[in-house]
Amino acid sequence: MTRKMKLFFAGAALGLATVAGTSAAYAFQDAAAELRATGQVGEQADGYLGVVNSAPANIRSQVESINIQRRAAYTRLAQSRNATIEEVAAATACELFAHRVGPGQYYRLPDGVWRQRNGNEPVPRPSHCG
Amino acid sequence: MILSNKDERRLTIGGRTLAILCAAAGLSACVQVDTPDKPIEINLNINIRQEVVVRLQQDAQQLIQNNPGVF
Repeated sequence: MTRKMKLFFAGAALGLATVAGTSAAYAFQDAAAELRATGQVGEQADGYLGVVNSAPANIRSQVESINIQRRAAYTRLAQSRNATIEEVAAATACELFAHRVGPGQYYRLPDGVWRQRNGNEPVPRPSHCG
Repeated sequence: MILSNKDERRLTIGGRTLAILCAAAGLSACVQVDTPDKPIEINLNINIRQEVVVRLQQDAQQLIQNNPGVF
Protein backbone atom coordinates (compact mmCIF):
# COMPACT_ATOMS: atom_id res chain seq x y z
CA MET A 1 0.00 0.00 0.00
CA THR A 2 1.47 3.33 -0.97
CA ARG A 3 1.83 6.14 1.52
CA LYS A 4 -0.92 8.08 -0.23
CA MET A 5 -3.34 5.18 0.05
CA LYS A 6 -2.50 4.76 3.72
CA LEU A 7 -3.19 8.42 4.33
CA PHE A 8 -6.46 8.16 2.43
CA PHE A 9 -7.67 5.23 4.46
CA ALA A 10 -6.61 6.87 7.68
CA GLY A 11 -8.58 9.97 6.78
CA ALA A 12 -11.61 7.95 5.77
CA ALA A 13 -11.54 5.98 9.00
CA LEU A 14 -11.31 9.19 11.02
CA GLY A 15 -14.24 10.65 9.14
CA LEU A 16 -16.35 7.56 9.64
CA ALA A 17 -15.52 7.47 13.34
CA THR A 18 -16.62 11.08 13.71
CA VAL A 19 -19.92 10.43 12.01
CA ALA A 20 -20.59 7.29 13.99
CA GLY A 21 -19.63 8.99 17.22
CA THR A 22 -22.15 11.75 16.77
CA SER A 23 -25.05 9.39 16.27
CA ALA A 24 -27.25 9.89 19.31
CA ALA A 25 -28.42 6.30 19.64
CA TYR A 26 -24.95 4.86 19.08
CA ALA A 27 -26.62 2.32 16.85
CA PHE A 28 -24.47 1.20 13.97
CA GLN A 29 -26.36 2.41 10.91
CA ASP A 30 -30.08 1.68 11.27
CA ALA A 31 -30.05 -1.45 13.39
CA ALA A 32 -33.80 -1.83 13.68
CA ALA A 33 -34.37 -1.43 9.95
CA GLU A 34 -31.61 -3.92 9.20
CA LEU A 35 -33.11 -6.46 11.56
CA ARG A 36 -36.54 -6.09 9.98
CA ALA A 37 -34.95 -6.56 6.58
CA THR A 38 -33.41 -9.92 7.55
CA GLY A 39 -36.86 -11.50 7.55
CA GLN A 40 -36.16 -13.05 10.94
CA VAL A 41 -37.34 -10.13 13.03
CA GLY A 42 -40.64 -8.29 13.03
CA GLU A 43 -42.53 -5.49 14.72
CA GLN A 44 -45.01 -6.37 17.45
CA ALA A 45 -48.20 -4.57 18.40
CA ASP A 46 -46.77 -4.08 21.89
CA GLY A 47 -44.08 -1.79 20.51
CA TYR A 48 -41.12 -4.15 20.57
CA LEU A 49 -39.22 -6.24 18.08
CA GLY A 50 -39.75 -9.97 18.07
CA VAL A 51 -37.96 -12.93 16.52
CA VAL A 52 -40.19 -14.56 13.92
CA ASN A 53 -39.29 -18.24 14.13
CA SER A 54 -35.74 -18.81 15.14
CA ALA A 55 -32.68 -16.73 14.64
CA PRO A 56 -29.00 -17.04 15.43
CA ALA A 57 -27.71 -15.75 18.71
CA ASN A 58 -26.30 -12.52 17.33
CA ILE A 59 -29.66 -11.54 15.86
CA ARG A 60 -31.43 -12.37 19.11
CA SER A 61 -29.00 -10.33 21.15
CA GLN A 62 -29.41 -7.35 18.82
CA VAL A 63 -33.18 -7.61 19.18
CA GLU A 64 -32.80 -7.66 22.96
CA SER A 65 -30.50 -4.68 22.89
CA ILE A 66 -32.90 -2.65 20.79
CA ASN A 67 -35.88 -3.61 22.93
CA ILE A 68 -34.02 -2.46 26.01
CA GLN A 69 -33.37 0.89 24.37
CA ARG A 70 -36.99 1.14 23.32
CA ARG A 71 -38.22 0.41 26.79
CA ALA A 72 -35.96 3.11 28.17
CA ALA A 73 -37.39 5.60 25.68
CA TYR A 74 -40.94 4.53 26.49
CA THR A 75 -40.29 4.89 30.20
CA ARG A 76 -38.97 8.43 29.82
CA LEU A 77 -41.94 9.48 27.70
CA ALA A 78 -44.44 7.78 29.99
CA GLN A 79 -43.15 9.68 32.98
CA SER A 80 -43.37 13.00 31.21
CA ARG A 81 -46.85 12.36 29.81
CA ASN A 82 -48.55 10.66 32.74
CA ALA A 83 -49.19 7.45 30.88
CA THR A 84 -48.19 3.86 31.45
CA ILE A 85 -45.18 2.39 29.70
CA GLU A 86 -47.50 -0.07 27.95
CA GLU A 87 -49.59 2.76 26.56
CA VAL A 88 -46.57 4.63 25.23
CA ALA A 89 -45.24 1.42 23.70
CA ALA A 90 -48.60 0.58 22.15
CA ALA A 91 -48.96 4.09 20.72
CA THR A 92 -45.48 3.83 19.19
CA ALA A 93 -46.37 0.46 17.72
CA CYS A 94 -49.22 2.13 15.83
CA GLU A 95 -46.73 4.48 14.19
CA LEU A 96 -44.18 1.73 13.57
CA PHE A 97 -46.80 -0.43 11.87
CA ALA A 98 -47.83 2.46 9.69
CA HIS A 99 -44.39 3.77 8.72
CA ARG A 100 -41.61 1.32 9.47
CA VAL A 101 -42.68 -2.12 8.34
CA GLY A 102 -41.48 -2.47 4.76
CA PRO A 103 -42.99 -4.64 2.02
CA GLY A 104 -42.67 -8.31 2.86
CA GLN A 105 -41.51 -7.58 6.38
CA TYR A 106 -43.04 -9.22 9.43
CA TYR A 107 -45.45 -7.83 11.97
CA ARG A 108 -47.49 -9.34 14.77
CA LEU A 109 -50.89 -8.16 16.00
CA PRO A 110 -52.17 -9.01 19.51
CA ASP A 111 -53.44 -12.35 18.17
CA GLY A 112 -49.80 -13.45 18.18
CA VAL A 113 -49.67 -14.56 14.54
CA TRP A 114 -46.70 -13.42 12.44
CA ARG A 115 -47.75 -11.99 9.11
CA GLN A 116 -45.90 -10.37 6.23
CA ARG A 117 -46.80 -7.02 4.80
CA ASN A 118 -48.32 -7.68 1.40
CA GLY A 119 -46.31 -5.51 -0.98
CA ASN A 120 -47.25 -1.88 -0.49
CA GLU A 121 -50.60 -2.59 1.12
CA PRO A 122 -50.78 -0.82 4.47
CA VAL A 123 -50.24 -2.96 7.53
CA PRO A 124 -53.49 -3.57 9.45
CA ARG A 125 -53.91 -1.04 12.26
CA PRO A 126 -54.01 -2.68 15.71
CA SER A 127 -57.39 -2.21 17.38
CA HIS A 128 -55.98 -0.14 20.24
CA CYS A 129 -54.75 2.51 17.82
CA GLY A 130 -58.10 4.15 17.37
CA MET B 1 -88.32 -31.57 27.96
CA ILE B 2 -86.52 -28.61 26.50
CA LEU B 3 -85.15 -26.36 29.17
CA SER B 4 -84.08 -22.80 28.50
CA ASN B 5 -80.66 -21.79 29.74
CA LYS B 6 -82.21 -19.78 32.56
CA ASP B 7 -84.40 -22.63 33.73
CA GLU B 8 -81.52 -25.03 33.61
CA ARG B 9 -79.45 -22.80 35.83
CA ARG B 10 -82.22 -22.60 38.41
CA LEU B 11 -82.53 -26.36 38.59
CA THR B 12 -78.83 -27.07 38.95
CA ILE B 13 -77.12 -26.56 42.25
CA GLY B 14 -75.43 -23.18 41.98
CA GLY B 15 -71.97 -22.40 43.22
CA ARG B 16 -73.13 -20.67 46.39
CA THR B 17 -75.45 -23.53 47.34
CA LEU B 18 -72.70 -26.00 46.79
CA ALA B 19 -70.31 -24.02 48.94
CA ILE B 20 -72.83 -23.93 51.78
CA LEU B 21 -73.53 -27.64 51.42
CA CYS B 22 -69.81 -28.35 51.44
CA ALA B 23 -69.24 -26.30 54.56
CA ALA B 24 -72.32 -27.69 56.30
CA ALA B 25 -71.37 -31.28 55.61
CA GLY B 26 -67.94 -30.65 57.03
CA LEU B 27 -66.29 -31.54 53.77
CA SER B 28 -63.15 -29.53 53.94
CA ALA B 29 -61.76 -30.76 50.67
CA CYS B 30 -64.68 -29.49 48.58
CA VAL B 31 -63.68 -27.67 45.47
CA GLN B 32 -66.11 -24.99 44.46
CA VAL B 33 -66.81 -25.02 40.74
CA ASP B 34 -68.74 -22.03 39.53
CA THR B 35 -70.05 -21.77 36.03
CA PRO B 36 -69.44 -18.25 34.78
CA ASP B 37 -72.51 -16.36 33.69
CA LYS B 38 -70.70 -14.38 31.05
CA PRO B 39 -68.50 -15.70 28.25
CA ILE B 40 -64.82 -15.44 29.10
CA GLU B 41 -63.32 -12.40 27.43
CA ILE B 42 -59.63 -12.47 26.73
CA ASN B 43 -58.27 -8.97 26.68
CA LEU B 44 -54.53 -8.71 26.26
CA ASN B 45 -54.48 -4.95 26.49
CA ILE B 46 -56.00 -4.46 29.91
CA ASN B 47 -53.62 -1.62 30.75
CA ILE B 48 -54.17 0.38 27.59
CA ARG B 49 -56.64 3.22 27.40
CA GLN B 50 -57.38 3.98 23.79
CA GLU B 51 -57.82 7.71 24.35
CA VAL B 52 -54.35 7.84 25.84
CA VAL B 53 -52.91 6.05 22.84
CA VAL B 54 -54.54 8.56 20.51
CA ARG B 55 -53.26 11.43 22.64
CA LEU B 56 -49.72 10.05 22.45
CA GLN B 57 -49.67 9.81 18.69
CA GLN B 58 -47.59 12.96 18.15
CA ASP B 59 -45.14 12.05 20.88
CA ALA B 60 -44.76 8.59 19.43
CA GLN B 61 -43.95 10.02 16.02
CA GLN B 62 -41.31 12.27 17.56
CA LEU B 63 -39.88 9.39 19.54
CA ILE B 64 -39.33 7.45 16.33
CA GLN B 65 -37.69 10.40 14.59
CA ASN B 66 -35.45 11.31 17.53
CA ASN B 67 -34.08 7.79 18.00
CA PRO B 68 -32.83 6.58 14.63
CA GLY B 69 -31.74 2.97 14.52
CA VAL B 70 -33.84 2.03 17.52
CA PHE B 71 -37.22 2.42 15.86
